[in-house]
Amino acid sequence: MNSFEEINIGDTLGPLELFVSKDQCRAYARTMGMGEGAGRFTDDEAARKEGLPGMIIPGNMSLGLLSKLVTDWIGSSNAWLTRMNTTYRVPVQPDHTVTIHGFITNKNPEERTTEIDVWMENEESERLVTGTATVEFRK
Amino acid sequence: MSTILDLHTHSEASEDSRAPVEAYLNWIKLRQAERPVDGIVLTEHRQFNRDADYRHLEDKFGTLVLRASEVETNYGHMLVFGVNDDMVARFDFADVRLDAQTLIDEVARMGGIVVPCHPGRPNIGLYEHYQSRPPLENVVAVEALNGGSRKGEDERSAELIAKYGFAATGGSDSHLVSLIGLCATKFSAYIKTIDDLVRELKTGNYEPVDFRPRRKTVPHAVAMESR
Repeated sequence: MNSFEEINIGDTLGPLELFVSKDQCRAYARTMGMGEGAGRFTDDEAARKEGLPGMIIPGNMSLGLLSKLVTDWIGSSNAWLTRMNTTYRVPVQPDHTVTIHGFITNKNPEERTTEIDVWMENEESERLVTGTATVEFRK
Repeated sequence: MSTILDLHTHSEASEDSRAPVEAYLNWIKLRQAERPVDGIVLTEHRQFNRDADYRHLEDKFGTLVLRASEVETNYGHMLVFGVNDDMVARFDFADVRLDAQTLIDEVARMGGIVVPCHPGRPNIGLYEHYQSRPPLENVVAVEALNGGSRKGEDERSAELIAKYGFAATGGSDSHLVSLIGLCATKFSAYIKTIDDLVRELKTGNYEPVDFRPRRKTVPHAVAMESR
């Protein structure tokens, strides 16, 4: 990543293309101790009984994937992700490829922060999860 | 002289958006070649910001900023243009079950116009309500292109427009800075004020315009075992 001074509004992050498998989804649910009620994240049939098209990825896992785009961009530089918010528009299904996009939309030189739009798309370019992030740069 | 306006946008005044108006206008300036919009209409959810003043930003960026509202009715979400004190006194914009027919007729009587938005969207769009209930009267236009549409939604909107002969608008429905101006409406007239906009919306002399990038479709993965 460039230094704060070299970053421009309109710069892109990614895109990051990821295939998330059902096994990864189950492992996440298990590791996070989701337990009872986690059927929608581990079992197609249980998810369908809830009216879903099949297993879905936990919201926190989507949040983690969006965060990955930002933290990969930060890398080992002198900055950190200080805030992230997300809107879950459409359930994200495993065994699909998702693409994560990001754009620098604002810069605050006084606070040395950047605002970033991020979103996750499916294969049809439908936006599934959207969000914004703030990255702060140390002096 | 024509005017291109993004008729459906949400700034940080809406609870589900964090986009500052200034950042929207800066993004439009940055992306003018791809999204040549002349202005935006802020359509905040269930409210009308009567006292908001964006003239300094209009001057700074040379982009028109008008204000309207997106309200919720028993026939789905609708954009209200030309909001005035009479309308604010007559309707509780925060009410999520406004009567659509009353809203359309009363707003017209008070000098404004109501445009149902994302009509092809499940639950909150006109199309689904029209499957089980009588069509509304006095609808002039509906939003044909919405920047947040999922696959099939704009197609259902087009079906409705063809069937009922509505005029068609476009708007990004942007909640993020970088999505502003993806869909818009091209008017054949020059528009500078909300009164100009309301007058033109009633004429039907406009068309939706689509500035969404055509991305390559990502191939679907081969499905793995399902349990």
